[in-house]
Amino acid sequence: MKRLLTTAAIFATVALTAAGCGGSGGKSDSKTFEFWSFTNINQKGDVDVYTKAHPDVHVKLTEVGSTTETAQALTTALAGGKVPDLVLIQADDLPKFMQSPDNFVDLTTMGAGDIKGNYLDWVMAQSTTQDNKIIGVPTDVGGLAVAYRTDLFKAAGLPTDREEVAKLWPTWDDFINVGKTYVQKTGKPFVDNTPTSVFFQAVNQGSERYYSADRKLDYGNAQVKAAFDLTLKAFSAGISAKQGSFSTGWTAAMKKGDYAVVCSPSWMLSQMKTNAPETNGKWDIATIPGGSGNWGGSFLAIPKRAKNPKAAWNYISEMQSPKGQLDHFLMQGSLPTTPSVYTDPQLVGRTDPFFSNAPIGKIYTQSVLGIKPFYFGPQDGPIGTEFLNTLTSVEQGKVEPAKAWDTALTNVKNAIRG
Amino acid sequence: MLSPAAAAPHLRTPGRRRRVQQSVRERLAPYAYISPFFVLFLIFGLFPLLFTFYISLFDWNPIGEHRFVGLENFTELVHDPRFWGALRNTFSIWVLSTVPQLLLALGLAHLLNHARLRLATLFRMSVLVPYVTSVAATTIVFAQLFDRDYGMINWFLELLGFEHIDFTASLFGSHIMIATMIAWRWTGYNTLLYLASLQAVPRELYEAAAADGANGWKQFLHVSIPSLRPIIAFTVVTSTIGGLQVFTEPLLVNPVGGLTCGAARQCQTVTLYLYEQSFGQFHFGYGAAVGVALFVIVVAFSAFNYLLATRIRTERP
Amino acid sequence: MKPGPATPAPTRGRRRHANRVPLASYVLLTLMGLISVFPLYWMFVVATTDSATATSLPPHLTPGGNFLHLAKLVFTIVPFVQSLLNSLIVATTIAVGQAVLCALAGFAFAKLSFPGRNTLFLIVVLTMTVPAQLAVVPQYLIISQFNWVDTLQAVIVPGLVSAFGIFWMRQHIGSSIDDELMHAARVDGATTWQIFWRIAFPLVRPAAFVLGLFTFVYAWNDFLWPFIVLKSPENYTVQIAIKALQQNRDIDLGLAMSGSFLATIPLLVLFVFVGRRLVQGIMEGAFKG
Repeated sequence: MKRLLTTAAIFATVALTAAGCGGSGGKSDSKTFEFWSFTNINQKGDVDVYTKAHPDVHVKLTEVGSTTETAQALTTALAGGKVPDLVLIQADDLPKFMQSPDNFVDLTTMGAGDIKGNYLDWVMAQSTTQDNKIIGVPTDVGGLAVAYRTDLFKAAGLPTDREEVAKLWPTWDDFINVGKTYVQKTGKPFVDNTPTSVFFQAVNQGSERYYSADRKLDYGNAQVKAAFDLTLKAFSAGISAKQGSFSTGWTAAMKKGDYAVVCSPSWMLSQMKTNAPETNGKWDIATIPGGSGNWGGSFLAIPKRAKNPKAAWNYISEMQSPKGQLDHFLMQGSLPTTPSVYTDPQLVGRTDPFFSNAPIGKIYTQSVLGIKPFYFGPQDGPIGTEFLNTLTSVEQGKVEPAKAWDTALTNVKNAIRG
Repeated sequence: MLSPAAAAPHLRTPGRRRRVQQSVRERLAPYAYISPFFVLFLIFGLFPLLFTFYISLFDWNPIGEHRFVGLENFTELVHDPRFWGALRNTFSIWVLSTVPQLLLALGLAHLLNHARLRLATLFRMSVLVPYVTSVAATTIVFAQLFDRDYGMINWFLELLGFEHIDFTASLFGSHIMIATMIAWRWTGYNTLLYLASLQAVPRELYEAAAADGANGWKQFLHVSIPSLRPIIAFTVVTSTIGGLQVFTEPLLVNPVGGLTCGAARQCQTVTLYLYEQSFGQFHFGYGAAVGVALFVIVVAFSAFNYLLATRIRTERP
Repeated sequence: MKPGPATPAPTRGRRRHANRVPLASYVLLTLMGLISVFPLYWMFVVATTDSATATSLPPHLTPGGNFLHLAKLVFTIVPFVQSLLNSLIVATTIAVGQAVLCALAGFAFAKLSFPGRNTLFLIVVLTMTVPAQLAVVPQYLIISQFNWVDTLQAVIVPGLVSAFGIFWMRQHIGSSIDDELMHAARVDGATTWQIFWRIAFPLVRPAAFVLGLFTFVYAWNDFLWPFIVLKSPENYTVQIAIKALQQNRDIDLGLAMSGSFLATIPLLVLFVFVGRRLVQGIMEGAFKG
């Protein structure tokens, strides 16, 4: 009996000690802070730069997972767990968090009001609440362009010079026609897939996306429909390799040259390099059909329960200054959100040997300068996913193109439960 | 060891008090034995189960507000094609994995049951290897084997003159793929269960059947199967419960598909849908409603299974 | 079937048939063994070659020499050693804890009579049929109330209870301990604790060990719950680490396979040592089940 009680007592103690540990965990001196990022964005490079400049500061960087997974982990943490001091949130995930701004530090209290003029105003607007609280500071925008394989273009008898290639496709219809020519000549698919490489680009080139300018849900509007129909057209033209972006097949086919074109926002460049290092020098970059646009981009935010918001803010203000963003671009290729550096000779003169020395700075800044900003709403993430999924189903032959639009609208309606 | 000194009769008064103390202790003892288990069971087992019903009545945003909505979640659920789709997928995967798995296990058990089988232990152990392999690892391997363009299975199909099958993308294909993983994992386990029951069948029954002119197949049909009825019922029940819990395979088989297991939710199971709603979309109330629905299904299935099992057990060939 | 008049010759033939194992049985069993082991072998092959060979067709079936390189990458992307350690801590604690808790409670349910015994046992057994996943939302809320999110105890403590475990221990204790023996011990003045500790537990130690083994395998491979509550890489169990590797699409399949292989090695080692006990355990359980 006594032993039994001892056993019970031990268990109780273990449980209680464990409970006690749960709350604290980790040191909280002013020089240490915890940073959650997603994979494939190379925040590690930034952190290394920062800790080199401030050897006394310790940044604990965690690459949680994909953008969505990072947002999910953040929600889980905000709901009742250990929160990071600093977190990277992708633009499409941000609106959901903007719904409950109380979970985050209002950065104007840290001095964000003084620096907000440094950033593209339409980007800054995404992380500013209606009562002018600033939740996040933008780290990059996703300027659009097309990456293409010069060797494969040459074999298909197409021009390989990026200026000439750009002239081939001022519009998306031209792009589809080039694709048809390529398929005719080579018998191989042209573009990696249409849902990502056509829809997600085209829908981000409009002046209105899933919400109207007065912040009302409007995902069935003419601009979205046009991007959707365009995607169906590209699919019907038979130019797609049907390799879903970021899948293992996509990576494998990229290595093997099983498609010649990927529409690649600026943040995708570093990913292509690590995915298919053996294709070094075989790619080049041309401007995207259909004009300027932006897909993606991210923000840094500080959760309210952060243990060391000051250290996190110091990091933001230093690394996301125009100079910091320029350095990040030069290192990694993500496009700055600070227009003051867009004319910087270092940015304009930046070329990338992996992409046949294409002037990536020049090409990508052009695509975001003429941008027509649209409102990002709380349901942007799920809506985009449903459109993408329906179009993927079309590529997989599971949804008839003629029924795709209606299917997509139904799926969106279900997903946002409205 | 068990000395009677504790109850020494000549120390009357203190002894009696001790005995009263002891008897109170002894009467409370059973509760002490079950309490460590029960305290944890109440906190982490029973209470969450009941609490699910409560949460399902709310629009519950874990980082926002909780709004009481009554049965709204359930009316929505009934009209939610994603839920019905998930239910269909779960059921289809369950049938596709359970039926071949149990048949295969029966056959293997019969083969393993041969008295003169050499290397019996080796065979028994080899079929159990999949059981100790993690589901996550299994899924990654099988997903590669089933890959549309670069997978070994499609390569093989091509050799045989068939077209490549996009397993992940198609409804039936993805179900087959996931069912294969489940069957691969559990066939050996069930084989051993059956084998154990077969070994309990008296040899004489087989000998008698053989004397009656029954060949191996007939012996299997008329001697093995009838004596396995109870254990077959048991495995059907466990595989049903297991079938409703399938989660890791559809989550990992198509990593790009996120929490939907593909663009058309073609292989999203009920449990994965529950997870998507709860921890992907953070609709805790709606996720809990899916949980309640799952509960109702389990109860219905268990009742059905119970009736079936009692029938199978009592029925004589 | 109709018993016909048996002629001597076919009887002998049949008898021989019944006694010798047909070659087809060996072929089938070997085939099944190969199917059981092949995915693991393939995992090893991909884990030791570079990604190009992993997707090459016809398939490349011999291991290469790239394992150390990939393994090193695995260790740099996620703290894999830490994950292995976490899994070991989690699985061992759950296995031992569950065996102890279930032995105690199973003993009370099997051998002691007390008011409420049957009701309580019924409640436990009934919840056995309900999948735990159903209640993940409130479970998560409870864990976050305790402030345990992203800690190992969030996985360990709820894992300590299992309706199956108590069912299993009750069956074994019920059948392996004679009521007369208990009665005799009581007459001798033994306390309940002495009966449990000196008589019951030694007798059912093998059963508790088997329960612990199964629980260990289960806890090692468990995915959903750790996936929900463990968020930082230093708290990952190996299964979640595999998921993280798979998600890291930067690199490729070889990496996820190396991780999977590394995560499976400990269980394979365990299997070599206690595989027989697992086989026995399943087969013994069959009689009780």
